[in-house]
Amino acid sequence: MRRGARNLHFVALAPAALVVAGPVAAHAAIYLSVEEAGAAIFPGRPLATLLATLSPEEAERIEERAGMQVRSREIRGLRTAQDARLYVDRVLGKHEEIVYAVGIEADGRIAGVEILEYRETYGGEIRQAEWRAQFRGRRAGDPLALGAEIHNLSGATLSCRHVTDGVRRILATDALLREREAAVRP
Amino acid sequence: MKVPAVPLSFRLSGLTLVRIAAVLCGLILSVSPPARGDENLLGYVYGAETLPRGKWEAYQWVTLRTGKESGSYRAFDLRTEIETGLTDRLQAAFYVNSRGHRITGVVGLDDRESLAFQGVSAEFKYRLRSPYLDGYGLALYVEPGYNRVDKVSGEIEGEFELETKVLFQKNFLEDTLIWAVNYTLEPEWALGGEEAAEEAEHEEAEHEAHEGEHEARRELAEELTTGVSYRIASRWFIGSELRLHSEWPDFSHREHLAVFLGPTLHYGGERWWWTATVLPQIWGWPDEEVPGLQLDEHERLELRFKLGVNFQ
Repeated sequence: MRRGARNLHFVALAPAALVVAGPVAAHAAIYLSVEEAGAAIFPGRPLATLLATLSPEEAERIEERAGMQVRSREIRGLRTAQDARLYVDRVLGKHEEIVYAVGIEADGRIAGVEILEYRETYGGEIRQAEWRAQFRGRRAGDPLALGAEIHNLSGATLSCRHVTDGVRRILATDALLREREAAVRP
Repeated sequence: MKVPAVPLSFRLSGLTLVRIAAVLCGLILSVSPPARGDENLLGYVYGAETLPRGKWEAYQWVTLRTGKESGSYRAFDLRTEIETGLTDRLQAAFYVNSRGHRITGVVGLDDRESLAFQGVSAEFKYRLRSPYLDGYGLALYVEPGYNRVDKVSGEIEGEFELETKVLFQKNFLEDTLIWAVNYTLEPEWALGGEEAAEEAEHEEAEHEAHEGEHEARRELAEELTTGVSYRIASRWFIGSELRLHSEWPDFSHREHLAVFLGPTLHYGGERWWWTATVLPQIWGWPDEEVPGLQLDEHERLELRFKLGVNFQ
């Protein structure tokens, strides 16, 4: 084979060889279990399992209120004896899902937000307590948008945006579930 | 006729450069911490996002261009890039470029087998709007560069270019569908060179006899590209890109227009990402030799592969 031909083959194959050699398994960064998140947001308060299923109509109402899609109609989380609730939800990161939990007191105000799983290396700043603290005290119907009520973190814009949108969806979900329960309560 | 395209020293320089780039990429892949930042979801179309301040990326591009109206034609464009965020809105990059040709029996081109140092360029990209904060992304892009190898023939020449772009991006479906549009104007000025100087001298001698047939010493490249990329699964995106490219010799009249359309596949790993695009020419003008295709200044098919590594 001529020298030039070998050169061009090398040029073409070098990056491909890197690709073949390079893939590594993704390592999920799991920071908290659901129970640990519940204990962090509602310390010292016993928690029981919370499970609920939204009807298609309820999902649509949540989408209207929150302005974003309901990706799962199966709701899971924990609840205290005083009916404070912890919801576990997922939003899209750059390539993987971000798993987070929102604790909501019985009066509908956010008690805290925790990040359970985060696989994106960039943007991990959303785990900072200061950023998550911005959600405390907010309730369904309050304006809640990135860049307005919630400040952005440089380098984590997509994660900030999606988690903020997700919290708004959880607030709408919590409000609807409480309305449903109040309607059937004797 | 077999043309020794460039002195051996240049060939070795180009080859060495590529090998060094490959080795560096390998080293970076092996030692960089798990990280990912701004990524190219498309091979030809840029998004409007910029790297955050203080973040760094390294790229290796390989573009294969192949297929003329006759003979055998293959050309490689290689770009090694290092990019950083100067501020949260402004990013800068530096490129070292190489170019290879293997031409046999193509009408109008000398046979050639070469790999040469192509030149250097710098990039500045300023984000005006963020797709995540403002509802759409908008950025301005400028890339001054020096080229010394002709893209089509592989001949050595000197050329200064100033690539300017307006980049627009709009995300849909909770950022799982990304649409981007780029408009590019790129003036180029020939600076001369050994073969170019000889050619210019020759042209000058024949100019009076063949007025109007001389090769332009300045040119404007105009390009409109657009593409969509959709997230089909975690880490995987598929998309499609459309590219319309035309050139204006002496900045005066459109000499040709070529349209490319093809698919793109993107994978975003935890430490790095890659993007592959297959871009056949679907229409071209003027189409003197092959109906519907412009093969004087372009090829039948372009394949582009980008490998990106992000590190803090």
